[in-house]
Amino acid sequence: MPERNIEFGKYGARGIKGHEAVARQLDALAGYIATPVTARRGLLARLHYLTRTDHARTAARQAGLTVTARTLRAWLAGTRSPSRRNLERIEQAYRTVRRENVARYLLARLNREGRGTRVEIHPLNQSQVDRPRQRAVEFRTMNVRRWDRIVAAWAVGDDQGLDDAWVDQVVDLGSQWGQYEYVTNVGFAA
Amino acid sequence: MGEFDAIDALLAAAKQEIPLPPAAERRSLREELNLSRAQLAKAMGVGASTVGGWESGRDPSGEVREKYAYFLEGARTKLDAAAAAEAPADDPGPGDDGPAEADQAVGTDDDDVLPAPRPCVLCGQPARHQVEGFPQHLDPAECGTAGPAQPAKPTPRTEPRQPAPAGRQSRAASDVKDVKVVPVGRRVQAASDTPDLIGSAVAAALAQHAGDVEAATAALVKRAIPDAMALLDDTRKGGRYDIVAHPWLPDILRKQTARGADQIWEARPKWTRPELPTGRHEVTALDINGAYLSALKTHLPIGRLEHSTGNHHDRRRAGVHLITPPAWDHDACLPNPIGNRDEPGPLWVTEPTLRLLLRVSGPKYGLCDPPEIHESWTSGATESLLEKFRVALKDARDRAIAEDDDVTLEYVKQMYSKFVSTLGESNYNRELYRTDWMHLIRSQAFVNLWWKAHRAYDEGLMVVRAMGTDELHVTGDWRAVFPEGRGVTEVKVKDVYTVGTGPDQPPQPPESPS
Repeated sequence: MPERNIEFGKYGARGIKGHEAVARQLDALAGYIATPVTARRGLLARLHYLTRTDHARTAARQAGLTVTARTLRAWLAGTRSPSRRNLERIEQAYRTVRRENVARYLLARLNREGRGTRVEIHPLNQSQVDRPRQRAVEFRTMNVRRWDRIVAAWAVGDDQGLDDAWVDQVVDLGSQWGQYEYVTNVGFAA
Repeated sequence: MGEFDAIDALLAAAKQEIPLPPAAERRSLREELNLSRAQLAKAMGVGASTVGGWESGRDPSGEVREKYAYFLEGARTKLDAAAAAEAPADDPGPGDDGPAEADQAVGTDDDDVLPAPRPCVLCGQPARHQVEGFPQHLDPAECGTAGPAQPAKPTPRTEPRQPAPAGRQSRAASDVKDVKVVPVGRRVQAASDTPDLIGSAVAAALAQHAGDVEAATAALVKRAIPDAMALLDDTRKGGRYDIVAHPWLPDILRKQTARGADQIWEARPKWTRPELPTGRHEVTALDINGAYLSALKTHLPIGRLEHSTGNHHDRRRAGVHLITPPAWDHDACLPNPIGNRDEPGPLWVTEPTLRLLLRVSGPKYGLCDPPEIHESWTSGATESLLEKFRVALKDARDRAIAEDDDVTLEYVKQMYSKFVSTLGESNYNRELYRTDWMHLIRSQAFVNLWWKAHRAYDEGLMVVRAMGTDELHVTGDWRAVFPEGRGVTEVKVKDVYTVGTGPDQPPQPPESPS
């Protein structure tokens, strides 16, 4: 696509891809456990979340936590503690399962029965760009009515899919949507 | 012959023009009545500069001349009467009907009894007296318009006069209520015709619960936050600035841990006077009405906060600042503007606190040294961002108090207090994530309380405590300083208690400010 930036940041502009900002905001709305997995409290909270029901256990196994029930019991009882690699797996499995569980409700709140959600797009940061190369990029808002593809891609952690789904929405900003490929922040409520 | 008849009629109609006093006297007559040119011009239906022209030598003609002559004549009568009798107890007081009725000086010689009652020119009710040929009530208590609303004031002449409603053709208009208008597009509309979100929500809730006040109040309290956001959106229609609801925020405005606080110091006052003079003191705990409602008027940053360094304050921007606060030597009689902080060293304060410090360190007050600013996160600011929102809530509150409507009162209170408390990262209001505004509005409430404490101190009261958002304990005759009532500019009494033993102490003269 011609609107895509080729060498972003060459003259000092700073920002993140729009879909990354969207994923950040969705993560913030999903509300993960705040305590890190390296702390005992955080580890127990995640393990409890992943082992509460049979459904949760199955989901955790599918998300990559392939340890025996005996090991899980030992971790929960505190007789053994997971290795660093297993801690990463627990964290990864927790985030995946949490996203899957939350996605349905988040989607309903964002779609609001077809009324959609107002999204604020804060433009990239040009404070480090030479004055003659700076461009007037304004703060924009738009209403996103269909969040299905965005939330689905976010829930399965599909970066490319999320990018495509987000760009599909951003083109509604008009012919200059390429200026909003990189942003400092994308804000919306759910 | 008909042509000559017409000329005869014209000659008969052309009469001598009414003589007017000289130009200098016209002006002094108006000024002695404390009337502005604009007020008079409005009453006469001409421009203010036209009145200025008359007062500098030009002469009006025609119908306007008669009106002007009538005004000048009335003004002179009124001034003469006031000079003759220094007891203006019969004066209907301010706000009766403006300058056109300047001949209200009753109790003089030129009022007489009518043989039969005729309608009063002020209220339309039958009156038995006339003044200079205009039938009217001599006692304001009888007069339907001016009577009940006007308590007898000892010096009514010094009060500002209300201008008469424009477009009034005759003095006999019976309806004196002004119509409040608001601009809508290119026209104006009566304020009563615009949709009243608060009133309609209350009416709908009452209808739904079949007049059950408690159930309706509970239902309204439950929806206070979304309703406040809808009201905010409604009041921003046609506004100059968009409300940015989800800006990028610097780390100092983010909570360090899930339950922790961020780094902003809101300067909440929590101050008690260390010692009182010996004797017995009656302390009154005053409560400031609607402290957070008034605090919605503050300089709020519009867009994203930008970083800057250096000891410089830009009055057109607002945000949070890292400052080293100055030393405060008046803890014995006034609270510290930065509140009750134990930790020394630099701290992040908000715009209202910084402005307070800069103001009290200025030449007018000189209470402390100016603070030293190290860093700032600021954005272009405006004071009017929430102004229409605040005025809408305040009007609804005033109306509810006047009509004794507890449902609306509680609803409005919930709207503004929950709006302020959920402005930041609250899960109860996800439409607005302005942690910076939340801090600024709270600080503004604390700053307003500080100024109230300073005013009490300045007027000779003794400030005993200043705490929380809206509580001020004073001794002395506070009624002379703060009006008592339920409006946002008034205070109400929370508690009265006595401290100390011994004989009653008269109000202390203020300690001289250093």
